[in-house]
Amino acid sequence: MQNNTYIISKKDLFDLFGRLAISSRVVVPYLNGDKLFFDDFNSAKEDSIELGGIRQSQPFKSFISPVRERMIGTDPTDRRPLIVAGVKGCDLSSLVLQDFVFQDGDVEDPFYVQSRKNTTIIAADCTYAKETCFCMAMEGAPYPRKFFDLSIASVDNYFLVEVGSPKGQKIVDDFRTFFKLVPIHSIDVRQSLRDRVTKQIEGFISKRETPNTTKIKGMVKKNYDRTEFWTAMASTCVECGACNLACPTCHCFLLFDEKDASGVKRFRAWDACLYNTFARVAGNHNPRKHLYERLRNRFDKKFEFFPAVLNYFACTGCGRCIEACPGDIDIREVLKGLVLERWNKPPHD
Amino acid sequence: MINCKKNPYAFINAEVLKVAEETSNIKTFTLKPSEDISFRAGQFMDVTLPGVGEAPFTPSSNHDHKGTLDFTIMSAGRVTKLIHQLKPGDTVGLRGPYGTKYPLDLFKGKEVFIVGGGVGLAPLRALLYALFNEVNDYKKIILRYGARSSGDIVYKDEIGTWKDRADHVDVLVSCDVGDASWSGHVGLVTTILKTEGLDVNNAVSIVCGPPIMMKFATFKLMDLGFKEDQIYLSMEKNMSCGIGKCGHCRIGPYYACKDGPVFPYDKIKDLPNIWD
Repeated sequence: MQNNTYIISKKDLFDLFGRLAISSRVVVPYLNGDKLFFDDFNSAKEDSIELGGIRQSQPFKSFISPVRERMIGTDPTDRRPLIVAGVKGCDLSSLVLQDFVFQDGDVEDPFYVQSRKNTTIIAADCTYAKETCFCMAMEGAPYPRKFFDLSIASVDNYFLVEVGSPKGQKIVDDFRTFFKLVPIHSIDVRQSLRDRVTKQIEGFISKRETPNTTKIKGMVKKNYDRTEFWTAMASTCVECGACNLACPTCHCFLLFDEKDASGVKRFRAWDACLYNTFARVAGNHNPRKHLYERLRNRFDKKFEFFPAVLNYFACTGCGRCIEACPGDIDIREVLKGLVLERWNKPPHD
Repeated sequence: MINCKKNPYAFINAEVLKVAEETSNIKTFTLKPSEDISFRAGQFMDVTLPGVGEAPFTPSSNHDHKGTLDFTIMSAGRVTKLIHQLKPGDTVGLRGPYGTKYPLDLFKGKEVFIVGGGVGLAPLRALLYALFNEVNDYKKIILRYGARSSGDIVYKDEIGTWKDRADHVDVLVSCDVGDASWSGHVGLVTTILKTEGLDVNNAVSIVCGPPIMMKFATFKLMDLGFKEDQIYLSMEKNMSCGIGKCGHCRIGPYYACKDGPVFPYDKIKDLPNIWD
């Protein structure tokens, strides 16, 4: 038995969410069809709450760096504390990168730092995997390893709770009656469930021959000038930016200003490097005029830039971009094409 | 409210004191910021039209000059077109400075060979004034400047006076295309890059201009014997946030806004698409 683990019944957990929601915004995942979506905790909709499952359709980053955020005239300290439950391993991995960019760099981003501080993460084990899941190839895992305040795993008829930070411990201390001691075998049961999902993902990876980070290292650079490869990969790209927006590690944003009767406003919104305008400068100079250059840039940023500056591959294997792409561009197939130096897609005329 | 010092995306106000017409599409704006701003030549700042947008520019004035800043701006896009409508008394926003400065300490005791093209003379003017502040610390200060035509030359009234700063200052201007009003050299700026009287081994070159001009000037300098680490380039990328977060100005493993915009050529020469 570990002294930082507890168990809580489902009923008590939902009661806890209700109690927490008095002073905080509590967000939980809901099952809708075969997809999971984050939304505010609503006790009337408890039946469709799914804390396990797989990663949600929205990337967790949207709670720390909102899709659109006001930069001038706003006060981030006014925000209610936020508690997000059900965050999965792939989203937790992305915090390595997001923290590096916005929190640990030369200049702190006060909006990010404030949101991050303001947010409590109740992470959860994945209870199954989807064919698009490949976190294990990207040095990830389908269960929380770090960056969580509390983590929960469905074990038998209750949730096993692990404390990951003083913030998490405070929740346990504040609501001590909800948390019970851990039966001896619970941690073993959790381990065997983790092993099962891990094996499932490894099966998907090996069946598809999805390369891992060791194999991917340096391959974008090596194949950088292979224009026919990148052109083929981009042949069905419609430049919608969905891959960027669904991605938990994409961090780029656009600053833009507006003015109305209430005054001058500056916002930032998520941006997408697939857009033609992303790198364009005045006088119509554009370092990435062609769509294939912009698709290649996405891979260069993820698999060369971040490994160079952070020793981190900026893909968590969440598979959201695969699901989001209307052109059926599959990041695993692109990586496989790079590593095996063969591909199936014909170049587009 | 996050105050200005903590919010890196907020600007301070600056008053437009003077607007000087340089060419048909380039103006120099003298701004007086509401707080002192200390920049070093080569760094850039974001100029905001409140409620409209912002764009990055390198101040073109002497970095030791307190109180006001000059920005020489070509009308080339949405924001700059509106900047060109500014009149004395108007208010703009300023944030920065950002990025790397010209490493003046490394230039000391050397022959400084400056190559400019078009409105690219703006940051080089700041550099020249910085060099003139300690003019005897540099063995030579040479400017080679190219403009499309005589009507496109910026700082027309000043350029002629720069060579009078000291005997070891030398200035030559060329126009791509000659006309009746131009009695000087005609040809691309690369045609006036010569090493006669220059000790290349003890020289540095600083280049700023449109991408295509920087490319051919760099290649010409290499032909003339400059080594890759003796050439400094001001890279024009889509610098937006200024602090390496928004992702727009990436060049290989660098961001132009924080690792540049001034790069020694050897640092970036192997990176893809640097001249595009």
